[in-house]
Amino acid sequence: MLRNRDREGERSVAGSGRQAHIHGAAITTSWRDASRSLTDLIFDGVSAALADAGTPIAAVDSVVLAAHDLIDGRSLSSMVTAPAAGAYLRDEIRLSEDGLAAASFGAARIEAGESAVTIVAAWGRASEGDPAAVSRAGFDPFLQQPFGLSDTEVSAFRLSRWMARHGDAAEARAEAARSRRARAAANPAALRADSGARHESFPLRPGEGPRRADVVAAMVIGAAPGAVRIAGVGHGTDATAVGDRDLLAMPALRTATGAALAAAGLTLGDIGLYEIDGMTLADEALALESLGLCPPGGGFRALTADHVNPSGGSEAGWCYPAMGLVRLIDCYTRLRAAAAPTAGTPRRALATGLGAGGAQTATAMILEAA
Amino acid sequence: MDMPAAEPLVIPGNWNFDYRYFAGDTATRFFAELRDNARIMGTRNPVTGQVMVPARSFSDADYVAATEWVEVGQEGRLEVFSIIATQFPGLPAPPFIIGYVTLDGADTAVLNHVTGVDLTDIDRAARQLLRQPRVRVVFKDAREGRITDFHFEVIPDTGTATGTGAA
Amino acid sequence: MTDPVAILGVGQTRYRRRHSDKNTAELVREAAAAALADAGIGLDGIDLIVGGVAPDALAGLANIDLMSIARPGIPYMRINTGGATGSSALLAGMTWIAAGRGKAVLVVAVERMGHATTAQNIFNSIFDPIYEKDISMSTISMVALRATLMMQKYGFTSDHWAQLAARNAAVSALNDTIERPRVFTADQVRGSAILAWPIHALEACPTTEGACAVVLTHAALVGDRTPAWIHGTGAFSDTYAMGDRFHRPEGALDNLITLERAARKAYGQAGITDPLAALDMVEIQAPFASSEVMAYMALGLCTPEDNVAFTERAIAGTAGVAFQPSGGPQACNPVSATALIRITEAALQIRGRAGARQIDGIRRTLSTGQGGATQFSTAVILGAEKP
Repeated sequence: MLRNRDREGERSVAGSGRQAHIHGAAITTSWRDASRSLTDLIFDGVSAALADAGTPIAAVDSVVLAAHDLIDGRSLSSMVTAPAAGAYLRDEIRLSEDGLAAASFGAARIEAGESAVTIVAAWGRASEGDPAAVSRAGFDPFLQQPFGLSDTEVSAFRLSRWMARHGDAAEARAEAARSRRARAAANPAALRADSGARHESFPLRPGEGPRRADVVAAMVIGAAPGAVRIAGVGHGTDATAVGDRDLLAMPALRTATGAALAAAGLTLGDIGLYEIDGMTLADEALALESLGLCPPGGGFRALTADHVNPSGGSEAGWCYPAMGLVRLIDCYTRLRAAAAPTAGTPRRALATGLGAGGAQTATAMILEAA
Repeated sequence: MDMPAAEPLVIPGNWNFDYRYFAGDTATRFFAELRDNARIMGTRNPVTGQVMVPARSFSDADYVAATEWVEVGQEGRLEVFSIIATQFPGLPAPPFIIGYVTLDGADTAVLNHVTGVDLTDIDRAARQLLRQPRVRVVFKDAREGRITDFHFEVIPDTGTATGTGAA
Repeated sequence: MTDPVAILGVGQTRYRRRHSDKNTAELVREAAAAALADAGIGLDGIDLIVGGVAPDALAGLANIDLMSIARPGIPYMRINTGGATGSSALLAGMTWIAAGRGKAVLVVAVERMGHATTAQNIFNSIFDPIYEKDISMSTISMVALRATLMMQKYGFTSDHWAQLAARNAAVSALNDTIERPRVFTADQVRGSAILAWPIHALEACPTTEGACAVVLTHAALVGDRTPAWIHGTGAFSDTYAMGDRFHRPEGALDNLITLERAARKAYGQAGITDPLAALDMVEIQAPFASSEVMAYMALGLCTPEDNVAFTERAIAGTAGVAFQPSGGPQACNPVSATALIRITEAALQIRGRAGARQIDGIRRTLSTGQGGATQFSTAVILGAEKP
């Protein structure tokens, strides 16, 4: 049997030597905009990313999508939606994963030399369906569905475990919630509309759940040098059964981030900007602890630091499976804006994205300004 | 431990999610024209000049927005068809015909139900339809702004193709 | 050019109407363990797992892959391109290796459609809810529309569909992965109920569950084992709108231009100029006879003028290439896995491990994948020789 430990020599071999660069991107958020169909929203979002990149559609040879059938209410979503993302007569593939996983796979196509220019797009239109019901349908029908478990309850479990160790932390949580509301208000891509009641199971508090939104995230990446390059990617996977997981350690996220840093040859200390995906405020805060960005118990306070989630996170508009790509584009736009770096402006950023099933999978990506 | 063998457990379930599909401005206008004016409208692809019916807000092929509206004719040619002859759960009672029709003035074909052919002998009906007859649009009296506000009716003794396949 | 990639191991469960004695994770484990054993690699030697699951609704569970295929500690992603899911998943694994992200990838596709009590109802819900879903579309009527086009345009008859269905059924009797092969004659096909003219009940593939797994590796891990080498691949997507494909200059509905382009790209990589001469065996992801016939043209195996005569030779087994030695998807079509099965069957034939259905001298093969509204097309060429 061939095992990894027998292959350490091979595994130290570097990748293909090719790198993916980001040429342009766009995030569009809306809520119940009946003037646009789902395919209209996708066309608008991807067209905006192409315009931002200055890339004509004819230059694109590959399309990588992240979309979920149940979120989209089309039982084979990409059949109807892929052409709206520019798939026509191109090498298009669809992941049923978080959007950052699609960005990782799109970058792999560039690294493999299979594509010169790839569109990566991810979307979710919360207003068209019932995302909570869809989330519940993703849990085990024998053992979990009878109790109505959804991603929100997994987040609540995670927070309850944290509170058992660190207490209620009411003040830090309220301050973190206030801080991200202010950031979302200043984020030009954030949803302004009130998207209604949030599903916040105890001990989640009002305002700690995500602001549901209709979100399209799109990015143009390519082999040609751009203002920002993808310097490292990592993936992690947790156990299926929620009861088998260490909900606080979040090993999938930690593994993904560790792998991304290793691939980039960096450590956490080299990173100047973080955009961390989490459905709830607690998920965002606890992710910071899992990554080692702050000591255990310090996640909510760490979330108010200037270089952590300046976008406002899930308060700025949230719908699975677009969010990892949204976090990445938030990093990209800030790195690009700092094109003439002065002291203190970040050159490297970390974005993370979490998958379905209560974050059973995680992706991390390091971006570096040229 | 001694445990009696059990039949594999089957737990009943259902799969029902509610959606509200936003048709968007372009399809909304297409449906409003059907409902209010009994007109069939397309949009023009600005790159190729082709008229897309039903109206699309953008062209898949050229990836450009299509904003110019064009009314198309209410007769056209049956491109392809099928006669649904078996009851499928959740679908209408058979037999019925569905087909794609290119309306006069359009460059793409639109899907709808087709009538005007005797379906008591399906093979015979198929022979007639394989000739790709001309069809005309028939509107419902009570229209609600859905694709089912109209259907196609075969115009007798039309069709140029010599379909030979209905053996 | 990137380094060669090999299929080092394959594994399949048996395919049956319902695996009521196994949960999905158990089905996956059976196929994955067989593929890993075949490849001589432990799960801890796997750098990425790619899961293939098509519409969630068929299993009645969202993200069934997370419950069954994903493994803690191993990078994982799910591909979903409808009927092409299995082959798209394999191509994703190849990309990972070519990018230098890893050297060994486990690709697993699983179908649990036996859970669905109303599969065609679900297949209606894949269509555009704004313009087309209300017109009672299903996957069967979608295929029927194309079959009538082939009859109008080229003069195919219902006899061709019945004979090809009977041929595929007869061949499938040798395939021991199918628990209960259905063997029938062309007359029996014609005598069976019309589902959607010209499609008869016996032409339609039965509901099937099962899992299929493939271990892909970089050439460096092959050692002295016997792999099937990947010689060429291609994948292209088309518009959803079938109505847009009658008058466009790129090619009409029956031209399957995305399959044509995928095959052309794969042939180019494999150095194939005359596919009929170069290929020994073809497995086409065609759940109906008319879809198989349409692919002959797109794959460059016959001209439009010759396609009726070529089809008759294919039915007679004298076309010069072995079609669907497994019986193809008409015999067994677990939707999420079917395109990966086409590749697995080709790999088994190349490696001389296809059991009772083994054909002598298979050195180069083509496997196709087809998903969506005949929209997502893939082509994978395998060979016995290291490229």
